[in-house]
Amino acid sequence: MKLQLIHINRNCRTLLMLSVAAMLLGSCKKYLNVNTNPNAPTQVPPSVLLPTTEIGIAFANSNDLDRATSAIMQQIAGVANQTQGYDVYNFSGAFDNQWNGELYGGSINNCVAMINLDSATSPAYSGIAKLEMAYAFSILTDIWGDVPYSQAGQGDKFTYPRFDKVQDIYQGNASLGIRSLFDLVNSGLADLAKTSALKPKTDDIVYGGDLTKWTRMGNTLLLKFAIMLTNVNPTMAKSVITSVLSGNNYINSNTLDFEVPFGTSTSNQNPIYNFNYINRPGDQMLSSRFQAIMQGFNDTLRLAKFFTKPNGVFVGFNNGSNAVAPAQATRSQYGTYLIAPLSSPTSLGAAPIRLLTNFQVNFILAEAALVLGTPGDPNAYYQAGIMANMQKIGMAQSDINAYFAANPTVVTLSGTQQQMLQQIITQKYIAWCGNGIEVFDDYRRTGYPTLALPLNPGGDDPSVIPTRLPYTIGELSTNPNAPNPRPLVDVKLWWAK
Amino acid sequence: MRKLKLLGSSILLLFQLHLLAQNRTITGKITDLNGKPVPGATIMIKDARTGTSSGPDGAFTLNVPPTAKTLAVSAIGWITQDIEIGDKTSILVTLTAKDATLSEVVVTSLGISRDKRSLGYATQQLKADQLADKGQVNIVSAMEGKVAGVNITGASGGAGASVNINIRGITSFTRSNQPLFVVDGVIISNDVDRTNGGPNGTLGDQQPANRALDLDLNNIESINILKGPGAAALYGSRAAAGAIIITTKKGGVNGRSEVVASTSYSMQNMEGLPKVQNLYGQGSTGVYNPASSNSWGPKFGATPSIANGLLVGGAPVPYQAYPNNINDFFQTGSISDNNLSISGGDAKQNFILSGGYLAQTGILPNTSVNRASVKFGGNTVFRNKIRVGGSVNFLNTLQTGILDGNGASSLAVIEGLARSIDLTTTRVKGTYQNPDGTNNWPITGQDNPYYDAYKNPLKSNLYRVIGSVNAGYDLYPWLNINYRLGIDAYTDRRKQIFAISSARVPAGQDLESTIYRSELNGDLIITAHKNDIFVKDLNITGLVGQNINQRRFQVVTAQADALSIPGFYQISNGTNFAVGTAEQTTVQRLLGYYGQVSFNWRGYLYLEATGRADESSTLSTSKNTFFYPSVNATFVFTDAFHIDSKILTYGKLRANISKVGTDAPPYLLSNTYVKGAYGNNVANFTFPYGSVAGFTLSSTIAPNVLAPEFVTSYEIGANLGFWNNRASLDATVYNTVSTSQIFSVGIPPSTGFTTKTVNAGKMTNKGIELTLSVEPIATKNVRWDIVGNFTRNINKVVSIFSGITSFSIPGSAFIGSVPSIKVGQPYGVIIGGLIPRDSTTGARLINSGTGVYATTIANQILANPNPDYILGVSNTFHYKTLSLGFTFNFIKGGQVLSFTAASYKSRGAWSETGKDREKPWILPGEILTNGKYTQNNIQIPAQTYWQTLGGLQSEFNVYDATVFRLQDITLGYDLPGSIAKSLKINYIRVSVFANNLFHVAPNAFFDPELNTQGAGNIRGLDLQGTPNATTIGASLKVSL
Repeated sequence: MKLQLIHINRNCRTLLMLSVAAMLLGSCKKYLNVNTNPNAPTQVPPSVLLPTTEIGIAFANSNDLDRATSAIMQQIAGVANQTQGYDVYNFSGAFDNQWNGELYGGSINNCVAMINLDSATSPAYSGIAKLEMAYAFSILTDIWGDVPYSQAGQGDKFTYPRFDKVQDIYQGNASLGIRSLFDLVNSGLADLAKTSALKPKTDDIVYGGDLTKWTRMGNTLLLKFAIMLTNVNPTMAKSVITSVLSGNNYINSNTLDFEVPFGTSTSNQNPIYNFNYINRPGDQMLSSRFQAIMQGFNDTLRLAKFFTKPNGVFVGFNNGSNAVAPAQATRSQYGTYLIAPLSSPTSLGAAPIRLLTNFQVNFILAEAALVLGTPGDPNAYYQAGIMANMQKIGMAQSDINAYFAANPTVVTLSGTQQQMLQQIITQKYIAWCGNGIEVFDDYRRTGYPTLALPLNPGGDDPSVIPTRLPYTIGELSTNPNAPNPRPLVDVKLWWAK
Repeated sequence: MRKLKLLGSSILLLFQLHLLAQNRTITGKITDLNGKPVPGATIMIKDARTGTSSGPDGAFTLNVPPTAKTLAVSAIGWITQDIEIGDKTSILVTLTAKDATLSEVVVTSLGISRDKRSLGYATQQLKADQLADKGQVNIVSAMEGKVAGVNITGASGGAGASVNINIRGITSFTRSNQPLFVVDGVIISNDVDRTNGGPNGTLGDQQPANRALDLDLNNIESINILKGPGAAALYGSRAAAGAIIITTKKGGVNGRSEVVASTSYSMQNMEGLPKVQNLYGQGSTGVYNPASSNSWGPKFGATPSIANGLLVGGAPVPYQAYPNNINDFFQTGSISDNNLSISGGDAKQNFILSGGYLAQTGILPNTSVNRASVKFGGNTVFRNKIRVGGSVNFLNTLQTGILDGNGASSLAVIEGLARSIDLTTTRVKGTYQNPDGTNNWPITGQDNPYYDAYKNPLKSNLYRVIGSVNAGYDLYPWLNINYRLGIDAYTDRRKQIFAISSARVPAGQDLESTIYRSELNGDLIITAHKNDIFVKDLNITGLVGQNINQRRFQVVTAQADALSIPGFYQISNGTNFAVGTAEQTTVQRLLGYYGQVSFNWRGYLYLEATGRADESSTLSTSKNTFFYPSVNATFVFTDAFHIDSKILTYGKLRANISKVGTDAPPYLLSNTYVKGAYGNNVANFTFPYGSVAGFTLSSTIAPNVLAPEFVTSYEIGANLGFWNNRASLDATVYNTVSTSQIFSVGIPPSTGFTTKTVNAGKMTNKGIELTLSVEPIATKNVRWDIVGNFTRNINKVVSIFSGITSFSIPGSAFIGSVPSIKVGQPYGVIIGGLIPRDSTTGARLINSGTGVYATTIANQILANPNPDYILGVSNTFHYKTLSLGFTFNFIKGGQVLSFTAASYKSRGAWSETGKDREKPWILPGEILTNGKYTQNNIQIPAQTYWQTLGGLQSEFNVYDATVFRLQDITLGYDLPGSIAKSLKINYIRVSVFANNLFHVAPNAFFDPELNTQGAGNIRGLDLQGTPNATTIGASLKVSL
């Protein structure tokens, strides 16, 4: 080039012009073909989605929704930041992360992706996905009431998902094309029974790929859903529970509990530990009201598994109090049961998040036998529930026996049906410590345990304990199908008492 | 109509030339003061209609009748002269230029130099002396208050903090709205690269620089600001937000060599934090508590008792006010700036070699910027007329910053610090840590501010090369071919550490991040120019070009969490690498073809059209080639109509319509899966779980089809010169319409996704820009120049997407105060909760149970950060070689949500909170009982009162950001020429200067011109960031 240009002449000029023209018109398809994303895959196997959904439903259960419901249910008291607000019913700007990133995104959308895989090769995955999805939707509808369900989680197939009614989610509605939660579980159970070429193994961090255990999980889900209907459709509740009982293939031992394991590494800890011990150690502590209930039952050994005793004493805080909180080092915080596995008490942060348990099943069956007349002795189930929970949290059998011997009135149902129901639900309330969503559900359905308003309540209606949580700003501002204005938090759900 | 008339009379004139009788021939030549020919000058016989014009060599020939006595010689841009003919047959005319600013040559798109009078769009030029010696480090800050139509806001006074610049408002929903930066024809990055994508998100980080920070102000010759798509159409997609065309200093043209050495030193101090009270100390509800971050404790001088917490174990605790404990945390910063340049040559062969070094220590402990720049450039013209030039600029910028923002940062601790905390003790300032290296601060959730500053810094070490080569050749006298290749590439190696026990990352963290960015541009430009085409005096310039563009970006981050050994900050010290460790690589390419044709009729009527077609790698194949045109016209009516009044010396009207298309960021076209993660900064989980991998669907749905976004702009303007251009006005009115925006629209999260990429939406910017220059005094020894710049821009989001009325600007940090794009509102309104009001009286509602305000109603407009108007006025006085220049800047309106203000109130630190503490307080408002409103009468303690008004995201912490500021002031003295000559030097200049010497904010008790999230689309948030700084310094410049 250089040499030619030095002795430039008319021919060279023409040549130059031609080469410029060639450059301008030359093919550029290859040059522009660089838009393949090197940073993220467009297709993945189901084995990398299953763990995401398992952690997802556990995270949704035990993160912010748990903190809010545990404060509302006065098991913990907020002393700083958001939890302090939840304690007095200030929920403004809350729960978008849970709705967006833990339930509809994270759990449900990835379950939909697993269900949409080739059904011939992977019914094992789609079966599990349906069970997980049913669980995730139950959290949504139990907390918020009417929620997107039949059209949810499917991307732009339904850009503005309809808000389905609670009764339609629980009972189905053929005319609106809504399949009930029960049918969703049954469909999942049917998938699990099929032959599946692809099967989960170590990617199933809960049951290690054991599909028989997933079948038990599914049947237990049916029990959990059925008991929600005691006020509104006892016939259906009774029928479902009786059927599951006769099938005898549900979680009936602590070793079969549906609980999602976590780890000790900072990025794998369960949210209860991660929040209370790592990132926000100063925000919440034991509620003095829960402390009083437990101490009233002389149940302090169990309380010591749920909460710490820093200087040999429990130090609680009254919900909603304006007083200065006790020094952090002296506060009772969540204890060993909620932060480390029973088998490895030094594995901090690795406590599993318990979602469906043997003790829960026993309390459900006790209630069902008492209220619905399903088979079995309510008192036997009641005692089995307390026993299963005490064993689960790591009380020595001798301590359990001693407690039963010393507190016969606590561990034995007596009085009217309502009084017995109160006993069952109050013990269930204690047993579920650390799972605020379950106790919030039972409270709204039965009115037990008996709770008083916190000090200085605020929010939508300071005169009552909330009966639901407010819809999230993100959904309200983007979905024209969202109820507008949103129902206040004192509007009861369909199944509530 | 006017144009037609004009053309008609011109044609008539041509005929008349041939019809009139001719008696005598006069020849002559028109030159300027330097003897250069002035072509195109009009030579008319006075009181007759006969005339001619000068040729390219300035020569003319004219036949004159015997009656003719005087010739009037006029040329556009030159002062008209009358020449007595007498009996001369040969005349030499020397013309004097009119005001230089009206006939200056400016660098426009693609590096093309143009006579400013021919431009059909608004541009504004800043010269070196308007930028240098003002104590500014960042070139963008140096422009503040000096350009109409431009809105500049610094993040803070922190060393290296980024500066936001928007020209004529914001035109894109989610893409960068910073103008394109071009240095000597090379497009360079002015990006802000954020380090911390981890659990802290954008809650606040060490404020990183906008990359224009790397440029050495001493090297700048001039900056031309192309204000809209009309001006920047040839840059195409990149210049929808305008362009900043920077020209650096070149080698000499007079054959001599020149050595210029400059040095400056300045000092910086913190400015703008609120006044404090010094009556009450640390504690709450009147009780001393060493673990409280508040100043609601007992009054100083109170008798120590167990009840007030001042008596512990029978002994009183030390308890006194430390009035300066906040101010003393800030240090006096300094900037030392040295530059040496050697240049030489003539118009054909020249070179410049320059080196500069700037060292800044910030107003906060452990903050600094060190910047080194070496540049070499040269040009040569070979004997065969081939022109070759090139330059290479090597830059190294080191920045050390400390944490900003709400939460546990040192600033969040300091701003509103309890009044009785002594920061000077050994424990706090001296060792600032426990013997085992852990944080020793007694307040939960906070760090000792010194610990945070020294143990949790971010360091950035950037190496950058900006280089260009160009070659040109005149194939024919009228046809020129030119090729330019420019590259800007940098690697920024960052290290961010969190010591074990730091409040934000208690387990400790070491983050190593390497950011690589490069942009390559190749432009082939063929220019043709013909005079007198079709008819005489119609000149035409045509241009065709091709652009090849490639942008690469890569960031590779290794994040080590849960450190084992205190004080050892290396990746190997981590026990968890799952979070944050990632790589991201992007490539995008574009091919552009463009053309321009300009007509010039007699130097007073110009018509120009451009067109550009781009082909982009990032759009759907069916939509990836897009064309956009522009057209502009210019009419210098004073010359066309020979108006030469003393009052109106110069008048030009201009108009343009242009359209610019923009492609998308790469990789938006398909749905993807990403590594699974849950939670936020309070609790989080990231895959892998042990050895189990987890992936999740990305939260964004890919678009069906992705087409370019477009900005269409309509602009009219006038340039008027009065009283021999002692006063001049440049006025512009524009209307910009942005359509088919590429953005991720918020969709109902219940779809399983939170956003979908779409082409939708419409936004308008309507505005007016005025620049008024006045020279009230101009004598031999005394001169006074005033330049005023007025900017008003009204932005409106017209539509977003069907069914969507609002969505948050990406990067929003806080739920509850979300910078948003909302239909019917200007861009960037901050949406949050407002307290419900009585619909008739407008009074706020009080909760009857608590005496404080009722729960807020979400999704309301909390603040609007867009100012009503901006007025900048620069004054320059010259007395002989002494000069005094200063710039005032007045920003009217706009709002800021201040976490700083909130913190000073809720912590009881602000001076107002010290008043009447013991008295009961009542919040203004009404109580609703049984459907009836009554005046609130519920008494609450001062602490409750102020903490209610001190809610972080409360409407009570939205302040009017109106601010009047002495932007900069410079006093300069040049050694008189005669003395300089005797010393055998060109000149010596001594300056003293200051910037941000004072501000007045009538409606805010702090300096509201802060923007903690830095350069970008999020504005109007002061998230307890670094405050502003005042700079005072002096400089010396010597030229040999």
